[in-house]
Amino acid sequence: MNHSLSPSATLWLLLPLTVLLLVMFGYPLGLVAWSSIYVDGAFTFKAYQHLSGSTLFYRVLANTLHISAVATLVSLVLGYIIALHLAAMEPRRRLPYMVLVMLPFWTSILVKSFAFGIVLGDNGIVNQIAAFLTGRTDKFELMFNRTGVIIGMSNFLLPFTVFPILASLLAQNRSLHRVAEIMGAGPIRIFLRITLPLSLPGVLAGVLMAMTLSMGMYITPALLGGRKDLMMANLVDIYTRQTLDWGLASAIAIVLLFMSGILIALLLRVRRAEGLGV
Amino acid sequence: MTLPSSKARVESIATTADMAPAGGSRRRFLGNATAVAASATFMPLVRAQSRSIVVTCWGGDYEKGIKSVFADPFAKETGIGVSLVNNADLTKMKVQVDSKNVQWDVFDSVGPQITAGARQGMWEDIDAKIVDRSDLVSPGGKDYVGTYLFGGGVAYDPKRVPEGKRPQNLKDFWDVQRFPGRRGLRTRISETLEMALVADGVAPDKLYPLDIERGFKALDRIKPAVKKWIETTPETITLITSNEIDYTYAYMSRVFPAQKAGSSVAMATGQTINSLEYLAVPKFGKNTEAAMRYVAFCLRPDRQVALANILFFAPNVRKAVPLVAAESRQYMPDVLNPASIIMNDGWWADKYDALQKRFTEWMLT
Repeated sequence: MNHSLSPSATLWLLLPLTVLLLVMFGYPLGLVAWSSIYVDGAFTFKAYQHLSGSTLFYRVLANTLHISAVATLVSLVLGYIIALHLAAMEPRRRLPYMVLVMLPFWTSILVKSFAFGIVLGDNGIVNQIAAFLTGRTDKFELMFNRTGVIIGMSNFLLPFTVFPILASLLAQNRSLHRVAEIMGAGPIRIFLRITLPLSLPGVLAGVLMAMTLSMGMYITPALLGGRKDLMMANLVDIYTRQTLDWGLASAIAIVLLFMSGILIALLLRVRRAEGLGV
Repeated sequence: MTLPSSKARVESIATTADMAPAGGSRRRFLGNATAVAASATFMPLVRAQSRSIVVTCWGGDYEKGIKSVFADPFAKETGIGVSLVNNADLTKMKVQVDSKNVQWDVFDSVGPQITAGARQGMWEDIDAKIVDRSDLVSPGGKDYVGTYLFGGGVAYDPKRVPEGKRPQNLKDFWDVQRFPGRRGLRTRISETLEMALVADGVAPDKLYPLDIERGFKALDRIKPAVKKWIETTPETITLITSNEIDYTYAYMSRVFPAQKAGSSVAMATGQTINSLEYLAVPKFGKNTEAAMRYVAFCLRPDRQVALANILFFAPNVRKAVPLVAAESRQYMPDVLNPASIIMNDGWWADKYDALQKRFTEWMLT
């Protein structure tokens, strides 16, 4: 920050948002935490004890972490390539491409997940093109398995990785690249020594958002996943709506919140250790 | 109408997240919010100063049917108005009962939801002095009563599957040698376990109490052939029409409308699993007696016949079954067919949670 505000001005400017967050987010969240330990009129850690002994919970936890990590990685790599490409464009040309990146973001996730059937299904576009090119009739299994979930989630997460990376690429001082070129560095060396390290804050921001968003995914695994791709949010749904065990559902939500919190803390730590302060 | 459509499902999930915690202190906040939302809906009724009840519903053609067969005639006969509210979720009902601020007087839903509510003690006992249960196909529980039956069975695409290669019953559905193909089953253990046992050779009338171990063994056999464990009801049709699966469990009330709309989907009706739709009256309601009278009205044979003729649901009142028009009967399950199964939700009531958990774990391995 180059501009500076007096502490009291900062406080007043932040106040409306803080109040809004406390009322609309902090309060309901507090109630979730409360109902995970206060069941049927008594304090109890029954729900957490139940979770710690539940193989179902551990399986679903492992699924959630695996799917989130892979989907984040895929959307990070793809997002970086897109961001590099966008950063190299003239600002006027960049705009329509940025709209294209935003497009999936504006489409309902439910509609998107159904639409993936047309693309990824046994008789979908991908399989038809593959059959046309190779002349073989066996199909790629792209839906109702983990591949389908990861494709669907990466599609959803892409804007969240592209834009922070693009912002940090555009903020780089171009003369650094020119200096490096004059000093005789090749494009790969320039990328590895200058572009990539300077874009890491954007990368971290993208990873943080992608990871936290994917840990709470619900509809994509339900529609594109197979029997082994149950995620945490789907499990919470079973306990809230089917068995009405809100204590257990709240406990899962709190565990998920803590795990996301720990992940964020770890990433922020890496950032500090690397001296990547924004 | 057997389950909320997928859109309703997503909406209800959003509200579930908002309402998940149960706590009295939040009542004021919720009360204000719902009061604002509800004022628009209930204003005319308040102005009319007449008694009226609120009954939950599933929207669409279902709502139109319920209105013309139950709600409007009931209002005409008793002077008690009926307003129907859609997308009624059990979680919202629980919030109302827990806070003793009940807006819905009659709750209309499927077995697993109604029995889950019963387990939580959410429903009033059905008043035997008002509701006559002497002639029902399935009697229901002490605090809920079935209004009609809907059938599920084996569905396929008649264009892709030639005659003679179409599975006619659950045994065929399980027979992957004679009927090779990609299958679809539901992610819910109730109905699925019944299917597995009948496919394994258990007689439909000797099904209960269910032999759980035998059922899971039969499920082990079909597992490799199941391509999609279906979570939302509309997918039972769309996965057939988009050629993602060959045979699936689907409901008659979904297959026949899709057929009429031009989709290539058909089902075997010789053996169906007939589930019940129930009515229950929540505790702490303001119009409990009127609600019981509404329940009794829905079970009147003439109303049962009228419902079957409009929405093609099978009557739960025996006397009404033979009175349904022949052309309606081809679209509804035959509840007196000995090959078919009638769901016993009472058996499931205290076993559903544990078995659903076991089934979910089973799917993950």
